[in-house]
Amino acid sequence: MPVPDGSGKPERSRRSFLALLGAGGAAGLGAGWWYHGPHEGGLTAEVFIGRAERYDSPLGDLLMRALRELGWGPEGIRGRRVLLKPNLVEPNRAHSHINTHPLLIRAAAETFLRLGAASVTVAEGAGHVRDSLLVLEESGLAEVLVEDRIPFVDLNTDSFFRVPNRGRFTRLDSLLLPATLRQADLVVSMPKLKTHHWTGVTLSLKNLFGLMPGSVYGWPKNVFHQEGIHQSIVDIAASVPVHLAIVDGIVGMEGDGPILGAPRPAGVLVVGRNLAAVDATCARLMGIDPRKIAYLAWASGRLGPIREAHIAQRGEDWRSLRQPFALIDDIPAQRGIRLAAVDPWAHAARGNGGQYTQSPFSRGGQLAGDIL
Amino acid sequence: MIRKLIEELRSRRRVDGAFAARPGAGAAVDATAWAVVALAATPEESWRLTTGCDWLAARQLEDGRVPLQPELRDVIWPTAPAMLAWISTSLYSERVARAAEFLLRHTGRHWKREPDDPVAHDSSIRGWPWVLGTHSWVVPTALALLALRRAGRGEHPRVAEAVALLLDRQLPAGGWNYGNTMVFGQPLRPMPDTTGAALVALAGVTPREKVNASIRYLEEAVKRVRAPLSLGWALLGLTAWNARPAAAAAWIEEALAASDRLGPYETGSLAVLLTAALAPQGLLAKVGG
Repeated sequence: MPVPDGSGKPERSRRSFLALLGAGGAAGLGAGWWYHGPHEGGLTAEVFIGRAERYDSPLGDLLMRALRELGWGPEGIRGRRVLLKPNLVEPNRAHSHINTHPLLIRAAAETFLRLGAASVTVAEGAGHVRDSLLVLEESGLAEVLVEDRIPFVDLNTDSFFRVPNRGRFTRLDSLLLPATLRQADLVVSMPKLKTHHWTGVTLSLKNLFGLMPGSVYGWPKNVFHQEGIHQSIVDIAASVPVHLAIVDGIVGMEGDGPILGAPRPAGVLVVGRNLAAVDATCARLMGIDPRKIAYLAWASGRLGPIREAHIAQRGEDWRSLRQPFALIDDIPAQRGIRLAAVDPWAHAARGNGGQYTQSPFSRGGQLAGDIL
Repeated sequence: MIRKLIEELRSRRRVDGAFAARPGAGAAVDATAWAVVALAATPEESWRLTTGCDWLAARQLEDGRVPLQPELRDVIWPTAPAMLAWISTSLYSERVARAAEFLLRHTGRHWKREPDDPVAHDSSIRGWPWVLGTHSWVVPTALALLALRRAGRGEHPRVAEAVALLLDRQLPAGGWNYGNTMVFGQPLRPMPDTTGAALVALAGVTPREKVNASIRYLEEAVKRVRAPLSLGWALLGLTAWNARPAAAAAWIEEALAASDRLGPYETGSLAVLLTAALAPQGLLAKVGG
C-alpha cells in the first residue's frame, strides 16, 4: 500500500491551528493536522508503560502514576466530563480477550473521579453487532457499570452532528459524529493490544472506528471499509479530538485478530496523550515495526510522532517488555511488519486447524530495518 | 407483561405520531417503524397508528426510499422497516409499492469473488446494504426480503437472490452474524439477533433442512440472552420455524425486569420484544415455517 508523502495535502499553518485549538479549548488535541514532514520535525510525545500482570491488581494506582508521570494532575481533570471509549467488538463470554476488560474500565473511571472529574461516561458503538446491551452483558461490563453507577451510551444509535473531514485520506468531505462527544471534555480511547487481519494491529487509533454511529455507517462500519480502513483511521483521528489513550495490554490478542486470535498475556498498560505515539510504542512492544503499518506511517508527522527518538519513554522501558506477538504469514497485513532484532522463531505459521505453531521457517517478510 | 410493554411503548409516542428513539430523545424513523409494527398487532392500538405511518410517509422520498434522515439519502436501511409498518395497517399500499420498487431497483456493491479472496462468501450475490454504495449484509437483506414478500413481491427474482444470499452467508456450524462467514480460513461466530432476523426472512421460502443448524444454534444461544433486541429477534426467528421455546414468556419478563437495573431500553428494542411476545400474531402472521 503506497504511503502518501503529504504533497498535495492541504496544509494548515501553525498559527491557524493554534487559533483553532484555543477556540476548542481542547488541551489534548495532541499533534495538529499539518504535515511536519517525513522526519516529524518538532513533534514529540510522552508515553508511559506500566507492568500489570493481572486485572485484579491495583490498576487505579498504576493509572494514577501514569497520569502523574505524563504531567496530568487534578488541575487538568477537575470538573471535566470524561468519556471512556473501550473496544467492545463482539459479545463473547468465552473469549474475554476480544474486548477491553471491565476491571480496567472500572479502574479508569475511578481514577478520573478521584482526580475530580465531574462525570465519567462509557460509550461505544460496537462494530459487529447492533445489540450493545448484549455486548455489555456478555463482556461483564454491564455488571461493573451498574455497580459503579457509570452511565453507558450506545454510540451506534446516538444522534449525530457533522464535522469537516480534516484528514482527506478518504473521499469523504465530512464525518458524522455522535452527539455524546459534544458533552465530553476529555475523550479517552481504551483499546486492547491486538493484532488485526486487515490493518496489522488495532490499537488506540483504530479503536476510534467505534465512535462512528453504525446507524449512519452500517455494521461493521461499512462506509469506512469501503473507503479504506487505514485511510479512514487517519481521517477520523484527524477530525475527532481524543485526549488520552489507555491500552489494555494485560491480556492482548495475537494472530488472527481482532476476533479470532489467541489470547496473549502481555502484562502491560500503555498510556499517553498522543495516540500515534502510543500506538507506535504498542507496536514495538508487540515486536512490530510501526513504520510498516500504513495508518501509522501516514500518521507520522501529521497526528504525532512514531519515531522512537521523538517519544519520551515514561515508566518501563519498552525493550525490556517487548514480546513478539504471533503473526500469520497468510495474512498480507501481517506480512513483513516484524520489527528488526526480534527473535525470528516467534513468527507463527498456521496450518494445523487454527492452532498456532512456532516455526523458524515462516518468518515471512523483511526483518531488516532500523528500529525507529 | 404484554400490557407493560404496550404501556412503555405508548409512552415513547410523540404528539406527531412518531416515536422517540429512547426517552428524552428525538423521533427516529426506525423506532417509529418498529413501534408501529409491534402495536399494530394489538387491536385497541391500531386506529392510532395512522399518525405514525403518516409521519413515516412524510419522510419517504420521491423514488420510494425512506432514509435515516432526509439529508442522508444513501442511508437506506430504514426503507424495509417503514414498509413493514405501512403493511401492518393495510392503508398505505401506494407507499409500499414505491418503496418496493426502490428496493428492487437498488442493491449493494457486488463483485465476482476471486479464488484467493480471504473472504469466503460469494460476494457476487446481490442483496441490500445498510448504506448505498457498500456491500450487502445480512440484516438489511433479511428485512428487505421480508418486506418484499409481505408486499406481494415474493415472486420477483431479487427475492430469490436474497434467499440465496442469506443461505450463502449462513455460518458453517449454523447461525448468522453481520454477514461474513469465513475470513482467512477461519469461521466467524454467529449472533442471536442476526440469526433471528435471517430465520424470520427465510421462513416459508426455504426447506427446513437448510437452516436446521441455525435453529439449533439459536435454541441453545437464546437460553442466556436477555438483552431485548437479541432476545426479541431470537424468539421471532424460532417462532417462525415453530420452535418457540416454552420459556419464552418468562425470558421476556426477565428482560423487562432487567431494565430496572440497566435503564430504559431503546424504543426499537422494546418494539421487537413486544413483537416477539405477540408472535405468531403480527409480523409473522403471513410468514410460514
